[in-house]
Amino acid sequence: MSRLTDIPIRIEGPAIAGGPRSDPAPSPGLDFGVSSSGVSAILAELARLLDQLAEKDIPAAIDLRSLPLSPQDRAELKQALGNGEVEASVNAEGVSTLRETRISGVWWVEHRDAHGELIAELLEVARVPEILASASDEIAAAAHTLRERLSVAARPC
Amino acid sequence: MSQGKSELTVGEMLLQHGISRRRFIKFCTATASALALPPWMGPAMAEQLRNSPRPSVIYLSFQECTGCVESLTRSFAPTIENLIFNFISLDYDDTLMAAAGEAAETARAKAMKDHFGKYVLLVDGSVPTGAGGAYCTSGGRSAEDTLREAAKGAAAIVCVGTCSSFGGIPFADPNPTGAWPVSAIVGDKPIINVSGCPPMPEVITGTLLQFVTTGQVPDLDEHRRPKVFFGNTIHDRCYRRPFYDQGKFAKTFDDEGARNGWCLYELGCKGPTTYNSCATIKWNGGTSFPIESGHGCIGCSEPGFWDKGSFYSPLSSAAWGKAGEVAPRQVLELTAGAAAVGVALGVASAGVSRLRQRHSEQRTDGETKGS
Repeated sequence: MSRLTDIPIRIEGPAIAGGPRSDPAPSPGLDFGVSSSGVSAILAELARLLDQLAEKDIPAAIDLRSLPLSPQDRAELKQALGNGEVEASVNAEGVSTLRETRISGVWWVEHRDAHGELIAELLEVARVPEILASASDEIAAAAHTLRERLSVAARPC
Repeated sequence: MSQGKSELTVGEMLLQHGISRRRFIKFCTATASALALPPWMGPAMAEQLRNSPRPSVIYLSFQECTGCVESLTRSFAPTIENLIFNFISLDYDDTLMAAAGEAAETARAKAMKDHFGKYVLLVDGSVPTGAGGAYCTSGGRSAEDTLREAAKGAAAIVCVGTCSSFGGIPFADPNPTGAWPVSAIVGDKPIINVSGCPPMPEVITGTLLQFVTTGQVPDLDEHRRPKVFFGNTIHDRCYRRPFYDQGKFAKTFDDEGARNGWCLYELGCKGPTTYNSCATIKWNGGTSFPIESGHGCIGCSEPGFWDKGSFYSPLSSAAWGKAGEVAPRQVLELTAGAAAVGVALGVASAGVSRLRQRHSEQRTDGETKGS
């Protein structure tokens, strides 16, 4: 043993700033004790899609209703992904709920119809899900409508 | 039905009707999910449709029972109203349109002229050619003449149902009206067969929507059926499949096996040789499908299903397989003793499936006879 780097080092606690670095630890609260091979496959696919989003800015989605997930698998997947900071709902012929998971960029999206029935359930991999953004043509139409209202309001009685 | 607004894009039309882009994206996402399309198809569908004018669609009904239109009007995703009002301009359908007589025929002629080379032609029913075409006429013209004329300006033809796809019941031996499928009469246009008696409503609307969205004929199997809906057998996706694998079969419709939901193979189920989406999309808004109601599949989306013996004879003893491709003797050899042993059943089914693939370039009885 002639050099310092030859000394074996074992990290027993989380990495601290400026200290020795280990592999990134999962965020607190994430439970990756996954037993289902189906859930493991989904998580591996999400990792690949996140790389794609980060490197090429290409969003993607996984249709959960197309996968043969048991209720236990579903619960395991929810636990593995956890809840993030953002939750939004869209009222458009029924409520759509969009929750960012603790995996940044992975959104759990549920679309329900006017009767509350689940009509689509996806894991979207995106900076912001497409449905949340306002559309350019609708913004332009809204500006036109607003100006019309202002001109009507400005007319003398 | 023509609104005279076919120049407007779908997006512009939705905006006029106060339907937001978010509602539209949600609708397309739910539609893609219901049709088991890849999830990226939802937003792509929304984007493409918003920027395109509604395509003109002409629906011709010939020698048929109207079951296909009955099925179409029960589509849940997308609904027929949504399809008609938002995505397509259904310019002619003599069953659904309010106009009749000369007004209806004028609407068809105008749509064919205005959208020559661009409209989608849907055909329901076989085309009788016997007695100079007298078995099916409309406006004084035979079905064959009407089809030939309408096909000239079509971008593509979608055959709705087994009759227009493969001849169907009217084509059954002895075929008294000289009926033929569309593919036997029109040879120079892309043809998409959406078979079934009737076809699944979501498969009709899904195929149409997919074509309208992409402008491309989807990937088709050897019978010109969209692979996305006809890529698997009913048997492959059947929830009773585990019982088949275990060799547990119902022997009658009211025995203990039937009550326990065991496999209906020995009661004549044609699921192993039938390609369709009934077991995945299901009928009546995803409620169930025939096998779930306790009856075997009759194979109604396959060519020649009408002339293959009893619906209640097991495949091993029926002249089943593939019309014009698998001789009954071959099927019998492959399936010898199969009804008794589950493992042998699996081998036989795989054998029929392999034969089916090997003969993938050949055409059905009806298509061959007519070409």
